[in-house]
Amino acid sequence: MMDVGRHPRIKLFAYSEVEHISGFIGNFNVKIRKKARYVIEDECTACGDCTKDCPVVVPDEYQQGFSSRKAIYIPFPQAVPSAYILNMEECLGNNPIACGKCLEACEKKCIDYDMKDEIIEVEVGTIIVATGLDVYDPTELDEFGYRSYENVITSMEFERLICAGGPTAGHFVRPTDRKVPRTVAFIQCVGSRSGKRGNRYCSNICCMNTIKDTLLLYDHYPETKCKVFYIDIRAFGKGFEQMFMRSKEVGVEYIRGIPGEVVEDPVTRNLILTVENTTTGRVEQHEVEMVVLSVGMEQRSDFDRLQKMLTLSTTGDGFVLESHPKLKPVDSPTRGVFYAGCVESPKGITESVVQSSAAAARASIILNAGRVKIEALTARLDTSLCNYCGMCARVCPYHAITPPDRKLGIYPEIIEAACAGCGTCAAECPNDAITMRHFTDAQIMAQIDAILEEKPLEKIVAFACNWCSYAGGDNAGTSRLQYPPSIRLIRTMCSGRVDEKFVLYAFQKGAPLVLVSGCHFADCHYINAVTWTQRRVERLWNKLERLGIRPERLQLEWISAAEGQKFAKVMRELEELRKKVTPEEVQQTREILRREAEKERARKAKRVEALRSA
Amino acid sequence: MPEKAKFKCLRCGYLYEDKYTPGVPQERACPKCGSNSVRRLEEKSTSPGNR
Repeated sequence: MMDVGRHPRIKLFAYSEVEHISGFIGNFNVKIRKKARYVIEDECTACGDCTKDCPVVVPDEYQQGFSSRKAIYIPFPQAVPSAYILNMEECLGNNPIACGKCLEACEKKCIDYDMKDEIIEVEVGTIIVATGLDVYDPTELDEFGYRSYENVITSMEFERLICAGGPTAGHFVRPTDRKVPRTVAFIQCVGSRSGKRGNRYCSNICCMNTIKDTLLLYDHYPETKCKVFYIDIRAFGKGFEQMFMRSKEVGVEYIRGIPGEVVEDPVTRNLILTVENTTTGRVEQHEVEMVVLSVGMEQRSDFDRLQKMLTLSTTGDGFVLESHPKLKPVDSPTRGVFYAGCVESPKGITESVVQSSAAAARASIILNAGRVKIEALTARLDTSLCNYCGMCARVCPYHAITPPDRKLGIYPEIIEAACAGCGTCAAECPNDAITMRHFTDAQIMAQIDAILEEKPLEKIVAFACNWCSYAGGDNAGTSRLQYPPSIRLIRTMCSGRVDEKFVLYAFQKGAPLVLVSGCHFADCHYINAVTWTQRRVERLWNKLERLGIRPERLQLEWISAAEGQKFAKVMRELEELRKKVTPEEVQQTREILRREAEKERARKAKRVEALRSA
Repeated sequence: MPEKAKFKCLRCGYLYEDKYTPGVPQERACPKCGSNSVRRLEEKSTSPGNR
């Protein structure tokens, strides 16, 4: 961190927050609120005279509340820049000055009570999101007694207690009597791997963190015994298994089972754990002097603000979604934005360093090139057909289309560098003013024509998104899963590209059944484009019903790339539905849609004529 | 605010009630067959014009 602070080409904004981000790859504009620290950063020598005289004492967040700090303080000893901060919410008051002792004590007079927040704007080419994590708060898990017993602590609190720079200068003592505990129990997976409370996912680092903690304890206090209660130990990294074996060799007892109850002996303040040992199949009780809850990791609670600013996708567990999990693991779906560390998933230091290096390398490729190569899958606007409705700008998940202004005669502008090519704008445009390169209306309709050219009654037209559903079909194929040959896939980059008119055209051409399939909401590769697919299909169901066509003939399915089995199952179910559609019904549909198409053509011709004459 | 709405699975025909928040798209699956072809059934208006 010191190196970063001193680096001539790195500008560090400490004690600052991102207020707003606009622009696109190579041209981001970031507004930063540099909060007033009421201490002139460049003048402060961190002598500490101010803090000695400050009368306000509050719990120290960095020390997990085990010690206190003053209202004027350094957040932690290694903080960069090494300058004090005055927390004005805790200060006795500066308007009028109620105390002023820090100002009196400061020899360099670098305390400025009138300092104001500053808004700084910077232009950057790329952004790396490395916002870190929140630690799971175990207060909702009553059975472990975290809220009731002082001698139950979390793994984060353990870190502070065992640290030489911690509140006890590295002397590990239990909070109730300040004595070194002779027995310590570690409970694993607190807040992780649970479908009911906490999070479903594995937090990745807790097993190794506990193993490291037990070895530290044995190193510092050889007479202290450790018991680890676990579901299974996940020691999968380089050297991890050896470390696990070493902890066993020094005498750490591993008990397979998570305690169902922790109660305190009111006399000794010892803790009694009741656990079903799943190795022996017996219910056991263990008395220990201290309990450490190995808590998991979570996405930061305030991450949604940044997520909206950068239009990032997240998975169901709140962590960000990569552009591609295997081939672009540090890229976000928004071009020019990269991830590093636990914002992407729970991970340890080594993995975070690897990912950060990769993100820096990816960003530097763009910055050094000075230009961006994009795939030729972007949207194009024909202004002669545009009526300034602004639908395209509203639905774009990437904010890659600037909104139009009818009064000023400004058409929407497609920023191709930011366009990811999902095609939602083209599908939603009521005037067909937007064309998708390589996925034009004509190209897709030609595929429908080809599919339904012969024996249309025996075909099912299935629109599948490139990343998930189509890949799910591939998965089914490579897994040798069989599904009916009547399914004919049309690949689009995103299900958001599937225009209402494609579906109606397929029915008009005699398709008995049409499927629209895409990614699950949490897996959408175009942020939230899939939600527009759902809205459109719902609209279509209503329209079909209004026209006298059974809505059941249009099916919707979310299939991920890993769901080959689901893909095959859905296709078999669709084949059964197809068999129930009679030739008479198809003929009737064709007739209805032919009349409807004629009306629509007349309406469209009128609209185009009106637009062109305007 | 979430409200109750009726849904129909367009794969197996199963009818059920579930929570629904207007304007908030939500991935739905039929509780019976697991299909995502789940359609929200709009309450029919009881105005004289629809009788």
